Amino acid sequence: MSVTGLRPPRNRADRRAVPWWTVQWLILMVPVAGAAVAAYWFLTERPVWLGGVVAVFALGCLTLAVVAPRAAYRVERWEVTDQAVYTRKGLLTHTWQVAPMSRIQRVDTARGPVQRLFGLADVTVTTASSAGAVKIEALDHEVAAELAERLTARTQATPGDAT
Amino acid sequence: MNGHREPHESPGPITSTAGGAAWETSVRPHLSGAARAADGQSHDRPHPSGPAAGPAAGTVVEEEAARWRRLSGRSPWASGVKSLVVAAGAGAGLVRFLMGRDWTAGGIVAACAGAAVLIVAALVAYDLLRLRATRWRLTPDRLELRSGLTTRQHRSIPRDRVRSVDLRADPVHRMFGLTVVKVGTGEHAGDGDEVALDPLDRHEAEALRRTLLRQEERAAAAREEGPVAELRWSWVRYAPLSVWTFTGAAVVLGALYKGLETVGLKRFTTRIAAGLWEWVVAQPLLAVPLLLALNLLVGVLGAGLLFAESWARYRLEREPGRLRLRRGLLTARSLTLEERRLRGVEINEPLLLRLGGGARIRSIATGLGKSSGDETEDAAALTPPMPRALALQVAATIAGTPLPVTGPAPSDSQAGAPLPVTGTTLPFAGPVPSHGPDGLPGGGAEGPASPDGLPGGGAGGPAAPAGLAGHPGAALRRRVVRAGVAAVVAVAAAAVAELTAPWAWVGGWVWTAPVAVLVLGLWHAVVSAGNLGHALGSRHLIARRGAVVRRTVALDRAGIAGWTVTESFFQRRAGLLTVSATTAAGRGHYEVVDVGRADGLELAAQAVPGLLDPFLTREAPSTRP
Repeated sequence: MSVTGLRPPRNRADRRAVPWWTVQWLILMVPVAGAAVAAYWFLTERPVWLGGVVAVFALGCLTLAVVAPRAAYRVERWEVTDQAVYTRKGLLTHTWQVAPMSRIQRVDTARGPVQRLFGLADVTVTTASSAGAVKIEALDHEVAAELAERLTARTQATPGDAT
Repeated sequence: MNGHREPHESPGPITSTAGGAAWETSVRPHLSGAARAADGQSHDRPHPSGPAAGPAAGTVVEEEAARWRRLSGRSPWASGVKSLVVAAGAGAGLVRFLMGRDWTAGGIVAACAGAAVLIVAALVAYDLLRLRATRWRLTPDRLELRSGLTTRQHRSIPRDRVRSVDLRADPVHRMFGLTVVKVGTGEHAGDGDEVALDPLDRHEAEALRRTLLRQEERAAAAREEGPVAELRWSWVRYAPLSVWTFTGAAVVLGALYKGLETVGLKRFTTRIAAGLWEWVVAQPLLAVPLLLALNLLVGVLGAGLLFAESWARYRLEREPGRLRLRRGLLTARSLTLEERRLRGVEINEPLLLRLGGGARIRSIATGLGKSSGDETEDAAALTPPMPRALALQVAATIAGTPLPVTGPAPSDSQAGAPLPVTGTTLPFAGPVPSHGPDGLPGGGAEGPASPDGLPGGGAGGPAAPAGLAGHPGAALRRRVVRAGVAAVVAVAAAAVAELTAPWAWVGGWVWTAPVAVLVLGLWHAVVSAGNLGHALGSRHLIARRGAVVRRTVALDRAGIAGWTVTESFFQRRAGLLTVSATTAAGRGHYEVVDVGRADGLELAAQAVPGLLDPFLTREAPSTRP
């Protein structure tokens, strides 16, 4: 049988990820768009053509803030089997990561301030490699805690120093 | 351990360490060729007292196990000699300062002498205090070190966690028979990772090394196997094959110029520089080639000397469970690497060295990078530059299994090399559909992917020598496109430069830049694509890449701690992806770049059976023609 590709992992991020990421994008994009508009209004003679350019730019920023999280939600997936943690992410550059249970050294959960408002958490699975950390983003915080517990229990059951 | 003060006169237990310390006792800066030869012999045959020496050496340390011991009492002497360098520097600065103040010669000499005495006395006193404050001991379980003048520290390493014992003796240390011992646990734990005993008696250091690594009874047997590699002076011909040969002399000259300036000889250096410039302007046809030749000569000479200092008495031995590397003309270094830390080897071929037919071997090991961060040299280097064929042999010996990279030296994949195309006989070569029907029924590591049975890789052309499968033509197309884009950008930049530059002469010459960019870019594209390759050995994943520095990595498959597969937008359109094996050792991740999608995934699936398989989509062969 010939290999045709990697199948997508089974699970998506939590539904609340979309509003959370949108808020994140807006926190970044609103000041950028606002600065462009403000610069146009106060620092230039307000020529019409430049106004058009600035408007397109500002609208583009806001559109991106709305569209990007939805696209990311479609792409980002994760799965935990008995043998491995498997994730996919990336819009333009697709990235799949696989970390075997036997090599997992640390399991962290993290919740940012805004993230907490949405009841979400990230789970980071670290292996012995400096390059091998696998991050599962935007899970329901209870799911995340449960997952971290499960992973910790499993990795503790595996012998060896995981290098 | 008072007997250690006069090791050569005291017949006590110290002489019983002769088997291990033989090379170090005969190692002196003024070593003659004959002595070196004798030294070499003492390695080739097992030392008569070798088997007996081992356990005895162990007991020397073991007997006094529980007792707290001092570092070598000769250390202040060494510090005294070293402080002379500081004193000389300070003296030079002082002379300059006082000359500016119109002091008499006598006054200047007196001031310098005073300063020198003060500096030497201060440093020696500091060293004495440091020695007083430092104690170490070896208990049956742990190696402990108490140290620190102001901040007391107590470090303790469990003996069964010791992974490396490195000995290092610079020329001053060797004058006084001293050696610095660094004991490491091979973990990236930061400060607590390493215990440095600076310095110990040479014999004590060697005895400690042997005790800690528990090799006594097996040492003699190991000797008979002979070394994995040993220096041949003919390798010095590879030493100048480095960029530094062409730039090193100029860099040193620049540093020297700056240095003389700060010491106050600026008028002197400026006059020389001015005279030199006049000469170059007056007779450019004679002066320029002459200066370039001189630069090259100095560079070659410097490279040769550096090679001699770094790699004289080089010897790589395999002891049970570990590799031991010894080298160094003036500064003797001894590095011991536990084989269970070893996750593979890297064959390193920078462009000039590659054109000269040479290669170097570096180790891929856990906990190696950080522990010797204070040293300027490469801690992972296992061999000096050596003939490529021999390097491959050494790599295979270290890896413990034949690597599919071995074989006739390739023709460097130079321009014009045909790239692997659809239908090559190698299981991993060629784009996706070509091997669908014939491919991979077993799926296991010993399936058809094992390149051992392959016919030398001849079908792949120079791009796929001896078992390494080349990558699809799309990899070359990507690189050619990149070179083209770079050339277009260069053309645009040149056009802008021509239009805006105020100097007339820019006009014609500026267009050489895009041409150079295009030519270099195309060369890079072709060589880079030709050098791409991968294979699966019986125990290793082998990946090769790089145009300027070609690196062939043989990574132990048991050391792979996960996969990262990336596929960029353009890679996706070309049917390529990059498979990256993450590992705890070396750089942390090693990539198979721009491999065909199916080949790359199949390679990863077979390299670590069972890990990637559940996530792959497969297609029954019957659906394909």
